[in-house]
Amino acid sequence: MAPERQPPEGAARIAGGPEADLVARTLSGDKAAFGLLVERYAPQARRVARAVLGDPDEADDAAQDGFLSALVKLAQYDARRPFGPWLMRIVANAATDRRRRRQVRRAEPLDPGLVGGGPRPDAEAVRSELAELLRAALGELPPRRRTAVVLFDVEGYSHAEIAEILGIPEGTVRSEVFHARRRLRALLADWKGA
Amino acid sequence: MTDERTFDHRPDPELGAALRNALEPRGGTEGAFVARVLARYDAALAERTVPTWQVLAAWAGPRIAAAVVAAALCGFLAGRALQSRDAPASFDTAFEPASGPGLAALVTASDPPDASVVFASLVEQR
Repeated sequence: MAPERQPPEGAARIAGGPEADLVARTLSGDKAAFGLLVERYAPQARRVARAVLGDPDEADDAAQDGFLSALVKLAQYDARRPFGPWLMRIVANAATDRRRRRQVRRAEPLDPGLVGGGPRPDAEAVRSELAELLRAALGELPPRRRTAVVLFDVEGYSHAEIAEILGIPEGTVRSEVFHARRRLRALLADWKGA
Repeated sequence: MTDERTFDHRPDPELGAALRNALEPRGGTEGAFVARVLARYDAALAERTVPTWQVLAAWAGPRIAAAVVAAALCGFLAGRALQSRDAPASFDTAFEPASGPGLAALVTASDPPDASVVFASLVEQR
């Protein structure tokens, strides 16, 4: 696995942070600056798109759509506000549009053989097995719910930011994260106990 | 990892790490993805220029409706104004001055008109 580039959490998400300069340069036609923005947010955007769509290839297409749409709309971005939620909203919308176009694909049922544990030849296989389980479990959740929990527990966005990204009330975000966590934690607990 | 933490307002590191691993893009480096996006950079900016017909189509609907309403209103008012006037019986009547040489004399005269005649003809038309 490639070395993890930390998603733009903390200081990078503060309004007027490093993104402000990159955004300004991109607006003045600096392609390299846009490239740095893409590089910085690509891991996060791809994960969020995958949370919405499930399919990794389609998720990459959606993430690309999101970045290019953000490029076109960049003049509308308010530099006094955090860049991450603004961009993730565009990416999530791009992924949701794709999902609507293709019709909601039915979640693949969990493989009973995987749930029971089975042989664990090495750590990578174990990680892969858990990842497969989690992806299947995510696929069973409603799209908005799985996106909310990924934005919260993986990307570190606040409830308020997720509300802005998904265009739903903050209370609804809390509810979605609660239900998603309950399901996913139960799965993790079962897997660890197996 | 218990349900007591379900309402935590903080991210769950264990769940987050597991989900992150599950959602990592398979194969291909981040650099390849960045290159793929940048390859569409120029095309995306070119598409930003919306064709004129699309702009027209966007605002034409309501504005055309407003123009139709305005034209109908103007036509109605103009029609009412014309109906309220007494229409002349004929072309000759319309050009016939009330008295004096008037417009007919001005038009048929061989000599240049005196300014007072022009003024008088205009006044007589009123």
